Amino acid sequence: MNGYGGTILRVNLTDGKISKEPTPAQLARDFIGGRGFGIYFLFKEVPKGIDPLGPENKLFISTGPLSGMMAPGGGKCDWTTKSPLTGGYADASMGGHFTAEMKYAGIDTIILEGISTKPVYLFIDNDKIQLLDASSLWGKGAIDVEVELKHKYGEEYQIAAIGPGGENQVLYACINHDFGRQAGRGGVGAVMGSKKLKAIVLHGTKSVAVADLESYRKAGLALYKACKDAEGLAEWSRYGTTVVTSWCNEVGALPTRNFSAGSFEGIDHINGQAMRKEIVITDKGCFGCPSPCGKYSNMKRYNTQVEGPEYETIGLMGSNLGIADIQSVAEANRLADDLGLDTISTGSCIAWAMECYEKGILTKADTDGLELKFGNTEAVFTLIKKIAHREGKIGDLLALGVKQASQEVGKGSEKFAIQVKGMEQSAYATHNATAMLLAYMTCDVGAHHNRSWAITYDLQVGREKVVPEKVARIIWLQNFRPMFDVFGSCRLQWVELGIDRELYCPLLESITGIKRSWQDLEAVGNRIWNLTRMYWARENDSFGREWDYPAQRFYTEPPKTGATAGQITKFEDVQKLLDMYYEQRGWDDNGLPTQATLETLNLTALVV
Amino acid sequence: MLKSYLGDQKEVIVEAGYTIRETLISLGMNPDLVAGIFVNQDQQSKDYILQDGDIVNLLAVIGGG
Repeated sequence: MNGYGGTILRVNLTDGKISKEPTPAQLARDFIGGRGFGIYFLFKEVPKGIDPLGPENKLFISTGPLSGMMAPGGGKCDWTTKSPLTGGYADASMGGHFTAEMKYAGIDTIILEGISTKPVYLFIDNDKIQLLDASSLWGKGAIDVEVELKHKYGEEYQIAAIGPGGENQVLYACINHDFGRQAGRGGVGAVMGSKKLKAIVLHGTKSVAVADLESYRKAGLALYKACKDAEGLAEWSRYGTTVVTSWCNEVGALPTRNFSAGSFEGIDHINGQAMRKEIVITDKGCFGCPSPCGKYSNMKRYNTQVEGPEYETIGLMGSNLGIADIQSVAEANRLADDLGLDTISTGSCIAWAMECYEKGILTKADTDGLELKFGNTEAVFTLIKKIAHREGKIGDLLALGVKQASQEVGKGSEKFAIQVKGMEQSAYATHNATAMLLAYMTCDVGAHHNRSWAITYDLQVGREKVVPEKVARIIWLQNFRPMFDVFGSCRLQWVELGIDRELYCPLLESITGIKRSWQDLEAVGNRIWNLTRMYWARENDSFGREWDYPAQRFYTEPPKTGATAGQITKFEDVQKLLDMYYEQRGWDDNGLPTQATLETLNLTALVV
Repeated sequence: MLKSYLGDQKEVIVEAGYTIRETLISLGMNPDLVAGIFVNQDQQSKDYILQDGDIVNLLAVIGGG
């Protein structure tokens, strides 16, 4: 099958059985790859109502037709599972080089099922596939494990590993790869840890067939030329995602002290300029990337190094914790990476705990003696370690994520748990930005910005406006942007460099032999969107409108300071946004796809 | 998007001595729509005061994160 590895690899960790099946051509045609394969398998193979950390959950790792190919940023793979953090659909997109190696090993999807009785790692070298003893690796940091396995097998082997966070099933544990890339959100690392799978070692040297080699070369080069000619290439490459840090602060979008404000007085100490001045050594890119957003950094004060921090971590572990020091933010990033924790969720949980402490809801008796005031850097470092090891009352509490932690603690702390559907909100404050608020409300993994981003759009149209055009914009982005996660390539070349997305169509056709326009591709995106929605509905009997509500803070507590001081979205506007969104999506008043919509999308057989 | 404020030109010559913010406003731009200011390749704030010979690149973030 052109453009694909050709194989689904099934690894049963309970009985150690390893088997291969050919990738169905119809699956590739209908769902293309990446997260499309992920949701298909999740719906089909994981029974309703299972424990996400039990033996019946599965973890699906999928490449796409652009993975490992001549496509800018063709270095992404998708990890899909039932989320232990939210109880719903989770997928996480991981960059680096893993996906290319998977493709060259002839694999389109790895299905990890069952639970091992002892720690193991999965070794894949083309057709040599084994489960090997990982008892000497268990307990070690993810970065240390990667170094050790690369020394053992060779630099050309790609490693994905969990840290103690995943081993201890922290509900937002992540999976690390290439020293600073993660399958970050939704607790995919906890699922891997529940299976006692410490790492995957991967190497592939097979060829990949394409439908039309000459057109492939032409189309691939056209995309690279578009990147090279893009205005802003130098700036995006030099600063990475930190380009936006000061601007977010200016427009009130920078999460500050648990999203109580959108502007931070210490911005000059944590922005892109501070990074380049104090810590950045060099740029770092993923497979085939012409615009390396990664930055290797050296923190002299701590004598440590990290890949990062990027914007999200600066937001959630910097301003959101009241920390005005880029070296400290980078060190917090390093700790989270090595221990295997999603920096966004970790930062949000710690910020919530800090607010609880400052309000007297949590005391030193609850925090194992830690003084959890905003800005206390040492407390943050200690707490990250406690969370990863579920150590002490506070470590174990925060390992649950902010929704469950606040439900356990009560005393009104739920009101400032900044999450949707159980996932902590990523780094855009949305006190008065109704399109972006809707993006967070309706994202299909919880409060994440990866599907749709609309900060500039809100500023152009009028941030407080509640109009059908904003809803249409969010829906369009949700059908379109995640297609990069289906293709197995990075979205930042379109997102940041603004290259013409039409260039992707001839490339995909030259690889797969299937001609698809963006209208066709967005139709697949819409199908996937409705399927992930139905997955939530299947797994949660109460699923509906209330699950789409934003964090209360955004409609009850205007910031006191900063660019959005005094501004808030009214709850009636939250409801109006949902009314319009459901109507435009073809869903009922409770936010569930109607039967007519499911029939139009040819999903009725799958969702039964 | 930003070029639309400059009659679709890619470049324009402006006077030194004013802040970036003041200059953007004088060009009819909403400063909030400009996410990145790069003066001689280094990122600067909108309070930076333009000097003779400075080359300034402006970045708007349309697609986001």
